[in-house]
Amino acid sequence: MISDYFGFAVGNLFHRRLRSWLTIIGIFIGIAAVVALVSLSQGMQDAIGNIFASLGSDRVLITPKGMTGPPGTETTSSRLYVTDLDVVKKTKGVKEAAGYLSRILPAKFGSQTKYPLVAGLPTDAGLSVFTSLGQFATVEGRMLKSGDKYKVIVGYQLAKETGGTFKKPVTIGKSVYINGYKFEVIGIRKPIGSAMFDTQVIIPLETMREITGIQNELSTINAMANAGASPNALADAIKKDLRKSRGLKEGNEDFDAQTSEQLRQLVSSIIGIIQAVIIGIAAISLLVGGIGIMNTMYTAVLERTNEIGIMKAIGAKNSDVLLIFVIESGMLGLVGGLLGVGTGVALSKTVEFVAYLIWQTPLISANFPWWLILGALGFSFSIGTISGIWPAYQASKMQPVKALRYE
Amino acid sequence: MIRDYIKYSIGNLFHRGMRSWLTLIGIFIGIAAIVALISLGQGLNNAVTSQFQSLGTDKIIIMPGGEIGAPGTGAEAAKLTEKELGIVERTAGVDAAVEMEYGIGKIEFNDKNTFTYIIGIPLDTKKLEMLKDMASFKAAEGRMIKPGDNKKAQIGYLLATDDSYFGKVLRVGNKINVEGAEFEIIGVTSQVGNSQDDSQIIISIEDSDKIFNKNKRYDAIYARVGNGADASKIVEEIKKGIRKLRGEKEGEEDFSVQTTEELLQSLGSILNIITAVLIGIASISLLVGGIGIMNTMYTSVLERTNEIGIMKAIGAKNSDILQIFLLEAGMLGLVGGIMGILAGMGMSSIAAFAAGQALKTTLIQAYFPPYLIFGALAFSIVVGIGSGVLPAIQASKLKPVDALRYE
Repeated sequence: MISDYFGFAVGNLFHRRLRSWLTIIGIFIGIAAVVALVSLSQGMQDAIGNIFASLGSDRVLITPKGMTGPPGTETTSSRLYVTDLDVVKKTKGVKEAAGYLSRILPAKFGSQTKYPLVAGLPTDAGLSVFTSLGQFATVEGRMLKSGDKYKVIVGYQLAKETGGTFKKPVTIGKSVYINGYKFEVIGIRKPIGSAMFDTQVIIPLETMREITGIQNELSTINAMANAGASPNALADAIKKDLRKSRGLKEGNEDFDAQTSEQLRQLVSSIIGIIQAVIIGIAAISLLVGGIGIMNTMYTAVLERTNEIGIMKAIGAKNSDVLLIFVIESGMLGLVGGLLGVGTGVALSKTVEFVAYLIWQTPLISANFPWWLILGALGFSFSIGTISGIWPAYQASKMQPVKALRYE
Repeated sequence: MIRDYIKYSIGNLFHRGMRSWLTLIGIFIGIAAIVALISLGQGLNNAVTSQFQSLGTDKIIIMPGGEIGAPGTGAEAAKLTEKELGIVERTAGVDAAVEMEYGIGKIEFNDKNTFTYIIGIPLDTKKLEMLKDMASFKAAEGRMIKPGDNKKAQIGYLLATDDSYFGKVLRVGNKINVEGAEFEIIGVTSQVGNSQDDSQIIISIEDSDKIFNKNKRYDAIYARVGNGADASKIVEEIKKGIRKLRGEKEGEEDFSVQTTEELLQSLGSILNIITAVLIGIASISLLVGGIGIMNTMYTSVLERTNEIGIMKAIGAKNSDILQIFLLEAGMLGLVGGIMGILAGMGMSSIAAFAAGQALKTTLIQAYFPPYLIFGALAFSIVVGIGSGVLPAIQASKLKPVDALRYE
């Protein structure tokens, strides 16, 4: 029975071919736009998620309050000190903690001087706090080790063959002058996809203190939670201990302690808002497309008034007529949705390809989670069905006699 | 004659009431979205422009290069010093130059603390005279900071009107604690319109130098162009001078020198790109609405085939039929456009009001230039007529005999 209705619906759509196509195009455009935009912003979310994954998930990051840039670009007057690191290390639930000192310093390579962010990482036991994170892996050479002095690991952007920071790529064994002191390049860092990390250079903390004369300060402290412990609870415990040692009241902290998860959520909620605005505007076209379906269905009901009369006269129930028209409009939505999903996928893949050619960034990539494809199809079918309900209801309510007499 | 056509087409629109309404809604939604987005985008652009104009169009701003984030996060080693200030002051055509320091610092009052921007400016009569017309330095209450005002502070508008910072608002005469030292409030700055400027405090550069340990490394230098001097020539002169001082090659500068005009243009072009992207996405719905008009017109040509046959039989020319149907399609677009413009204006006014309340900014405003209203009207008529062209041509080409016989 239902399959007859489907056959009937398809037949009718083909009968008024031009009108059906125009209606389908209306839905198709909207679905294609939404699918392309969602898949691109999903790809960006995932790429940013990967960057944050390299920060570790069991970490608490302690920074001075009021910091607006990456560690070391001190805009704020509040500071962290080595004594704070001791407090964090003693906090219950901390497996290991370490801090680094970071500053923007002049780096001379060949005849050029640039100003990268220089991070002085500890070479004692604390080094493992950082090297256990994906972001500190090297693609060439090695990471710092105990006993290293005046050695440097450069970010990928500095070592790139073309389009790098310096005119010539920085390679292993070469010398770089940082703040006037000579350093030997021993490693090149893995590209992360964020300019902040990819232009950073890493040197030993002791050497950093020697070349800058900054003794007790740390730019950021990174604490590892004990296995199974909740990073959120640990962040609260660290806050409490630091408040106590600094003699501060709750709410008046001059430092921040956040879990890497909280940081990730903050960034993804900002992207989420942008995503929602763009998709919201694109979805307006779906609304217009839905109104188009409603219009087509009204016209179809009007044209087929006589037909409806005959169906009813030979025993069709109201529910049969309703179903026939709802299925027909659902089909309009579904076909539009299928075409739209296909076009949307192609569109965002093209954007990804072109963006990669121009910028070589992993940030613009098209991801198609299953819920996007199924959701888009389900949504387009629902739009069709919902837009068809009112016209179909009117058709089903017709009096057979009047319908037969209608001209 | 044309008047008859118009009457005829309005009559037809009313005859198929439901269908005409649904078609109108399709255009109405698209136009409303576009009008709302353009008016908000234009309002934002105007607000930004007027903020820049409060700086004065005769100003040149010199900033350290390699800025990673907000002002003040610039490369420490590449910061501006007294040497650069000297070069700016000695450049022919420069009438006055003011050095500034920015940083985020802790303010305590009423047992609560807040981290906010602190601006240090030199307390020199001639330099202050240059700042006194700028909105972000002009005092609205009390008085502006003046020579000898060490340990005195001029506070931003929001600190004096919003009690969420310290539990109660600050007033002229109150004593606040800035980074451990007591400062007396001597004035409240006029409202600028963005929360960062409106929550900052202005103190003497001697005081800020101590707080942030800057050792006379400036975050910006503002220069005023003397009467009749050519600003762009002065920009080039300053660039040349600082390059020579630092031994940098052209194109490799680690600083930027821009007139307020240029700064405004680069900011304006970013805003324009964002607005253009949003409008592009919104106009997808207009495309879908246009397809809806086309669909409606095809249907009405089909329905009125007999009528067209009769008109032709009694002497109507092809061009008459074409005009009738084009008029009808244009009417659909026009009425949809009028409704859309009104709805769009309402929407953006509400959005601007809500944003002003929620975000405490005067940046989000709805602005309706005449070109927007007339442009949107013209555009909706064009969309209507454009969508009606194919169906109207089809109608005009019908053979009278075929049309009369059509069922």
